[in-house]
Amino acid sequence: MSKPYRLSTGGRFVDRSKKVSFTFDGKSVTGFQGDTVASAVLASGQRVFGRSFKYHRPRGVVGLGSEEMNALIGVGQGARHEPNLRATQIEIFSGMAAVSQNRWPSLNWDIGAINNEFSRVLPGGFYYKTFMWPQSFWKHVYEPFIRRAAGLGKAPEGRDPDTYEQVHVHCDVLVIGGGVAGLAAAEAAAANGAKVIIADENPQLGGLADISGGAIDGQSLTDWSAATGAKLYAAENVHVLNRTTVVGHWHHNFVMLFERVADHDPALLSQGVPRHRLWKVRSTQVILATGSIERPIAFANNDRPGVMLASAARGMVERYGVAPGSNGVVFTNNDDAYQTAIVLKGAGVGVRVVDSRGRAEGALPNKAREMGVSVDTGSVISAVNTSWGGLNITDVKIASYRKGQGRVIKEAKAEADFVAMSGGWNPALHLWCHNGGKIHFDDKLQAFRPKEHYDKIVAIGAANGTFGLSQILAEAVHAGSKLAGSGNVHPVPHAVQADERPLEPIWFAPATAKYNEGNKHFIDYQNDVTAADLELAQREGYESVEHTKRYTTFGMATDQGKTSNINGLGVIAEASGKTIPEVGITTFRPPYTPFTFGSIAGVLTKDLFLPIRRTAIYQWHVDHGAVFEPVGQWRRAYTYPRNGETNHQSIDREILAVRNKVGLLDASTLGKIEIKGPDAAEFLDRMYTNMFSTLKLGKCRYGLMMNELGFLTDDGVTVRLSDDHFLMHTTSGGADRISAWLEEWLQTEWTHYKVFVTNVTENWSQFAIAGPKAREVVQKLDPNFDISHEALPHMSFVEGKLGPWPVRVYRISFSGELSYEVATPSNLGLGLWKDIVAAGAEFGLEPYGTEALHVLRAEKGYIVVGDETDGTTTPIDVGLDGLVSKKKADFLGKRSLEQEYLKAPNRKQLVGLLTEDPNDVLPDGAYAVRQVKDKPPMEMIGQVTSSYRSPTLGRSIAMALIENGRARMGETISFPLPGGKVVRAKITDTVFYDKEGAKLNV
Amino acid sequence: MSELYIDSPLAGVAEPQGLSISIREIPDRGMIDLRGLTSDPAFMAAAKGALGVDVPTRPRTSASWGDVRVLWLSTDQWLILSSRARAHELLTSLRDALNGIHSLVVDVSDMRAIIRLEGDGCREVIMKGTSLDLLDKEYVQGCCRRMRYAEIAALLDVVEDNVFDIYVFRSYAHYTWNFLCATAKAPAKLKLFGAQEVPA
Repeated sequence: MSKPYRLSTGGRFVDRSKKVSFTFDGKSVTGFQGDTVASAVLASGQRVFGRSFKYHRPRGVVGLGSEEMNALIGVGQGARHEPNLRATQIEIFSGMAAVSQNRWPSLNWDIGAINNEFSRVLPGGFYYKTFMWPQSFWKHVYEPFIRRAAGLGKAPEGRDPDTYEQVHVHCDVLVIGGGVAGLAAAEAAAANGAKVIIADENPQLGGLADISGGAIDGQSLTDWSAATGAKLYAAENVHVLNRTTVVGHWHHNFVMLFERVADHDPALLSQGVPRHRLWKVRSTQVILATGSIERPIAFANNDRPGVMLASAARGMVERYGVAPGSNGVVFTNNDDAYQTAIVLKGAGVGVRVVDSRGRAEGALPNKAREMGVSVDTGSVISAVNTSWGGLNITDVKIASYRKGQGRVIKEAKAEADFVAMSGGWNPALHLWCHNGGKIHFDDKLQAFRPKEHYDKIVAIGAANGTFGLSQILAEAVHAGSKLAGSGNVHPVPHAVQADERPLEPIWFAPATAKYNEGNKHFIDYQNDVTAADLELAQREGYESVEHTKRYTTFGMATDQGKTSNINGLGVIAEASGKTIPEVGITTFRPPYTPFTFGSIAGVLTKDLFLPIRRTAIYQWHVDHGAVFEPVGQWRRAYTYPRNGETNHQSIDREILAVRNKVGLLDASTLGKIEIKGPDAAEFLDRMYTNMFSTLKLGKCRYGLMMNELGFLTDDGVTVRLSDDHFLMHTTSGGADRISAWLEEWLQTEWTHYKVFVTNVTENWSQFAIAGPKAREVVQKLDPNFDISHEALPHMSFVEGKLGPWPVRVYRISFSGELSYEVATPSNLGLGLWKDIVAAGAEFGLEPYGTEALHVLRAEKGYIVVGDETDGTTTPIDVGLDGLVSKKKADFLGKRSLEQEYLKAPNRKQLVGLLTEDPNDVLPDGAYAVRQVKDKPPMEMIGQVTSSYRSPTLGRSIAMALIENGRARMGETISFPLPGGKVVRAKITDTVFYDKEGAKLNV
Repeated sequence: MSELYIDSPLAGVAEPQGLSISIREIPDRGMIDLRGLTSDPAFMAAAKGALGVDVPTRPRTSASWGDVRVLWLSTDQWLILSSRARAHELLTSLRDALNGIHSLVVDVSDMRAIIRLEGDGCREVIMKGTSLDLLDKEYVQGCCRRMRYAEIAALLDVVEDNVFDIYVFRSYAHYTWNFLCATAKAPAKLKLFGAQEVPA
């Protein structure tokens, strides 16, 4: 038989006229359009979908949708591969390549299954108990072994070719779940005028309505769902999302939705449709209509392929026309599972029912009996037997049962090749609990139900523990109507449904042998946790359920205890003599089901990974071969190597050009802040350590800025534009921070000051023309103002024109050379830059980058805030106490700087360093020690803050913060480097070049 | 020496292909940053005198007079829009009018890049980069506000129902442009709410 389990008729979701071929583990499988990987592979006669996490037991399909915890598969090849997908949710398409996971070398013959044979030595907490020592073994032996043996799928290979995106949406009502409850609530809310989003993880609306029986307003649930869904699709104020899982709920009803836009259709992907879209929804109200998840029952070997949930068996027949086997047993403790028996019987599949309850007299059991289904009440399945290797069920053992029974004495064998089990239904509370919703245990349901929540969220229908169709509709219509618009409650549709009798809990079906002797009762299939493991944890004293969870791994990982939670709690309760509410519940965490990193990144990859700031000259830098370095979010030209130069050679060339001829630097990134108002001068006096109120019009002054703690935070040159108007320059990285810092003091502390502050950094391109020939270059640019030393001396400012270009010119210097910093509006920047390059050609002008800039300033001993300071460095530490005003009444950091310990002589002070060997360039951050020893620890007395090879001096230079450094001038100290080399250096003044500053005043 | 010429922030950027909306740079707008105290009647009167219209005091609104628009930026800050040609004249008249009054007037015409989005679905495209609810009735012609867009600060101006201007600081022009090209791709077109097709 090529398709042994495909029934000849039926299958609401499949289109039998359209065959679809795909591969599973390389083997070709043909299904119909509408099939999932699970239904198509089951139809082909294969039951094994993977191997379990720890014991490598063969596992098959258990569920029907997202609750599936066993049949995890990988889909797609190479860079498009996605692991750990639930086979029950993956729609097949032609050419799809799906693979099973966690098996080696093959599904049917897996070497890891030996773990199962040795399972007596792999009890709960095995990893904790075994891999304790020696410590080094963990990293090198145990972990690599465990990673290979235990685990889920494989990561994709290569760069993802697809696109992903995110979108933010707001709505009045978000309905989570498109089953009967969700549809009715959404319809009512929409009718009242609310803006509604309804999201469902499946390709079609209706939830489990189609396999639930009953009728609404005379329509089958399937027809009613389709009709109501059609109304929602057509509505102007509703957005319907299919294939969309709500993965998490956070504060203020911020909800994240994961939409699989194109996974099901490669044609969409090839058109460029985003593969996944992450929706960030902010909803005034949330209606939780997530339905419920059927519970398995713990009986011996309940994990064998062919053992599935009753709803899954029913769904396979009704939705896909696939029989779970040829002859099976429905094992239940409730009436609902009789629908499965009825459906199976109707489809011509052999079926009997084993019911743990003493009596089964509801409408559904009676109907099943009428159809000729044999029902054993007061009975359990005590074990499942399989052929060798556990691949095929051969028979089940049925034993009589009454509650509290510990062991089975007598059991009867019944031939069967599948089991459909139902231990009742758990409201799907995950999303309710993500953000702290309270729950309570309902004795009648034997399940937790939602209680209160501080967000505006309401649970309805099965998610609220309401299972009667009429009550579900009443709750849904009420919730949907009340939350929106007029609040008018709409009429509740009329529903009919078979009457169901209550379930009786069964947490554990006893077996003949004591369990764990060849019989495993699985609670958490995905994490391979058995009832025995949970009991053992209780015996070993893991009383808190959260401890048991971590010790046994019960309820963890991608599954988050969807099917296992209550069963596990039931076992723990029975083992510890507590009630389930006393045991408590473990925490459900987002995501509800895993979602992709692609969707988390959205479009923010590659060139959008990080915002990159460009100056107006950026493209010119690129065109002229610049190597870039990041400065904050800016990309600045680091150096411009040419004709095969190394960076080092190019930097040396640029430095020598500035020292001997003239250089041009793009300094546009410098922060520029306009400060104006009657109190502007006083305000600056308070912000800086030095005095600005005495600054003359048209003059520049270098300022140091401290925070309240007395530590340096920024520096730069400020210009007085008019009496009440200043322009402050900040460091490149500091513009936004200092701008906000100034605003903060004006808005929160010194509110009486009349000062306005506007950050104009981006309005200006600014270039340094530096070097002995700078004046000649500027002159060549045809200034309409006098640039002579007399008219425009060092630290002065003029506004005018260079040829056609409107400019502000500052005679300030960070290189120690004659320097004009020229600013022009950014949109003119490139034009002016090109003119300067042209004008400078005859004088040997060369553009220089940030590294040359750094070496030039280090040769002069100029500090960089952030290099020579580390957030705990004072002006005194760096030797700039001369810039700390003694006259001013107050300024930021003044009081802190008075503290004894900030003036103590043993603080680290900035000094220069000259290495004994002039070719040794100390690494940045190298430690100086009091005494060199054979090996650490050695006492540290300071560290290198800047270190370069100076082409000007033909040797290395460095600056360092050294304990009591200024008193140690001339002393030689040692820097032991990694690898054993010790570099010795003499402490000097920080100024290495042109100590008297003669080159500035020309 | 060469002539003075202007390089707008996105000068030379390639024409985008295959987008669901049109995007283009607006290169020639004059912008003035105005700061002053609404509690100062002299300031309010002088500003009106120079601009022809009261500066708006309601958050996220704007006011217009002829080809001059005034966008509310904060309780004491406005962005004044005009043609680039007109900006200098406007700057001078504002400075003259506000002489002696506590205020700060700065020409910031070169500080920002402006990208014009046009077409059906603009709002959805922008919502791929901001948490604002652009489907809200607040976002009608004349509404303006600052926002976090992608990962940067931006200013949004609703020009018409399906026409929006996004202002970003000049250095982020290419980042913003590339983000728009990535989120406005035609196959990624998104229509929020409204009638949908029933899936097969």
